[in-house]
Amino acid sequence: MNFLRVINSSRRQLHMTTLKYFSSEMNNEIMSSPKYPDLIIAKPRRRSDESFKEKKARLVYQSRKRGMLENDLLLSTFAAKYLGQFNETQLAEYDRLINEPSNDWDIYKWAVGAIDIPKDYDSDVFQLFKKHVENSQKETRFKQPDLY
Amino acid sequence: MTSMLKIPPTFCKNILQQTLKVNKGKICRQLHQNVDKGSAKLSTDCGTSYPVYDHTYDAVVVGAGGAGLRAAFGLVAQGFKTAVVTKLFPTRSHTIAAQGGVNAALGNMEEDNWLWHMYDTVKGSDWLGDQDAIHYMTKEAPKAVIELENYGMPFSRTKDGKIYQRAFGGQSLKFGKGGQAHRCCAVADRTGHSMLHTLYGQSLRYDCNYFIEYFALDLIMENGECKGVIALNLDDGTLHRFRCNNTVLACGGYGRAYFSCTSAHTCTGDGTAMVSRAGLPCQDLEFVQFHPTGIYGAGCLMTEGCRGEGGYLINSEGERFMERYAPVAKDLASRDVVSRSMTMEIKEGRGCGPEKDHVYLQLHHLPAEQLHQRLPGISETAMIFAGVDVTREPIPVIPTVHYNMGGIPTNYKGQVLDHKNGEDQIIPGLYAAGEVASNSVHGANRLGANSLLDIVVFGRACALTIGETNKPGDKVPDIAPNAGEGSIANLDWCRNANGSTPTAALRLDLQKTMQKHAAVFRVEDYLKEGVQKVSGHYKDMKHLKVHDRSLIWNSDLVETLELQNLMLNAMQTIVAAENRKESRGAHARVDFKDRIDEYDYSKPIEGQRKKPVEEHWRKHTLTYIKPDTGEVNINYRPVIDKTLDLNECPTVPPAIRSY
Repeated sequence: MNFLRVINSSRRQLHMTTLKYFSSEMNNEIMSSPKYPDLIIAKPRRRSDESFKEKKARLVYQSRKRGMLENDLLLSTFAAKYLGQFNETQLAEYDRLINEPSNDWDIYKWAVGAIDIPKDYDSDVFQLFKKHVENSQKETRFKQPDLY
Repeated sequence: MTSMLKIPPTFCKNILQQTLKVNKGKICRQLHQNVDKGSAKLSTDCGTSYPVYDHTYDAVVVGAGGAGLRAAFGLVAQGFKTAVVTKLFPTRSHTIAAQGGVNAALGNMEEDNWLWHMYDTVKGSDWLGDQDAIHYMTKEAPKAVIELENYGMPFSRTKDGKIYQRAFGGQSLKFGKGGQAHRCCAVADRTGHSMLHTLYGQSLRYDCNYFIEYFALDLIMENGECKGVIALNLDDGTLHRFRCNNTVLACGGYGRAYFSCTSAHTCTGDGTAMVSRAGLPCQDLEFVQFHPTGIYGAGCLMTEGCRGEGGYLINSEGERFMERYAPVAKDLASRDVVSRSMTMEIKEGRGCGPEKDHVYLQLHHLPAEQLHQRLPGISETAMIFAGVDVTREPIPVIPTVHYNMGGIPTNYKGQVLDHKNGEDQIIPGLYAAGEVASNSVHGANRLGANSLLDIVVFGRACALTIGETNKPGDKVPDIAPNAGEGSIANLDWCRNANGSTPTAALRLDLQKTMQKHAAVFRVEDYLKEGVQKVSGHYKDMKHLKVHDRSLIWNSDLVETLELQNLMLNAMQTIVAAENRKESRGAHARVDFKDRIDEYDYSKPIEGQRKKPVEEHWRKHTLTYIKPDTGEVNINYRPVIDKTLDLNECPTVPPAIRSY
């Protein structure tokens, strides 16, 4: 179970950033949250024989099923618009962006610019996502796009 | 669903008989921590179209949100060989959306007592809550929070190092007479995530087997006993039967039965639906909590602070309509009044948008600076989801589902119940906890920050109950060789469904009907019309069209299975809402405005006749649905007023509820 010991080095950095952000918002009476416990959370690792098509299908599923409706809507609309034209590299970047961070609120806050994204995740794909979230076209995202 | 299925003839004979040893690497993606490879066996039916793998465990938990993870952790810590089957990676469960906190009478900010928390919860439930479960939950709350802290959950602290507790609506001191209580413990605004992270991490320190991105199809029920579940591995299309003595359902709510809800898109009532298909009842589904102002369809909440700052609601004629419904409080009237007034405007044809089905929240008369300072995040949310610039345009809003109080009936130990001949009957081997369950601590309405408490207390209770009556390594029950056949047949039907209605279209029809007919404006003829419409949608399922025929990462297939689940939930909800002829908690009937108890509690009880159970509504609704037709039958279950120990915790006697 080697992968159990794989901790993403960016995770520590990530928590530092977020804690700073929250402490600045906090009520004066609160000192701080102590740091996250050093629990090892295994990251998803994929089977090696996953085809390009299967990977896309997986990312469609994972873009629609986030646990919080904001990301459900933002990632599903983003995936519907861009996933079809992504190449291998972009797909891998997107996979990392949506599957590595443990807290989906981080992805949301990076995208809306509430907190800075760690360099590690700041790719072209993320910038494209950020633009999508900005919504300068003033699209409505009232529901997830139909699959077909 | 079986009768509407076209079952391939090959399914009917000798399915799943032959067993083979599994190729080890094959079923175990590395995604699944600690999967027990050795004991899985492969059964094959006709050809290899649906290979089925068999697993045996002491306990199986379905769902990996707060309740599921707390149960799983409690089980592995006692040495039970445990599998967690979940359609989502654990930190992607809807618990993550909970930013509020956990209520517990720790007394860190002022003197506090769990009996006061108990009183608030019973009152919040509008006396539909079971007081044994509320007694248990509020008494266990401080212990449960300290436990979480010991497991590493980094609660926000006061300067002297205690867990910081903040004020939350509905929480009082001294039985409602001592003012606002500070009882809610939080991890900044990431309490939900922190809880998932902590519990998931802790469970992995033991030998907990996670089956992640597996969609649970059905319970395996034989002779009234639950013997496990059957699930589909979304990654490779294989089927898995989990055979066990104990199954814990922790699948969350079904907010997605409505058009506008705050729940994640995965909250499709899979657990309540599995129980319904097994012929067991759901309880109190008519009680659905709404927030008045969510962004139309999207569901993101526009906080009540928007109206507090001077924002107001307008209809299609630009009229500030709340002035008519509540001349004094106007837009600051109570949630219920605001929600109902909005719905009245829509119903009378003054709704906004092409379908005239929402109203507008106007903020642009407020100075831009005030908007940014006092309502941070609102401008961004409105632009991102509605494409609206709040300094110029109004935001489309609609009453939005926030929580399902109803669910699978259980006792305070987490054991699933049926009710026959006036007696509660425990379903052997089946447990439920979290939003999927109705234990029933929330009764007719849930108080903020009681739901995270519910999940940890009752997730833990399930594990403890299992520990009381089982030992690790107990003999696992036998199941029929063809167990799960019906579920596979249904899966096969869905995958090949070739009718005229795409899943997304039928889902939208259902959601709009529920939003229109079973939301906050509830009146006889309107509900009856809704029941007819939902029945129609139910029948339309046989015309479904699924485009994707594959078995690997088939979102279309998953969403079709989820739609079947939503239908079962929606049908029971609207029938129960039509049936309950009173107003209580979140269920407000325009035509039956009063709460109808065994006595009229607005007057002294002396001299009053106690109404028999058929004449009052202080009872739980139990709904049973026939999966093939959608026909719903109703039964009742008395509310439990007796606490676990009347000396320690006397019953909170019913009274008229006012805040």
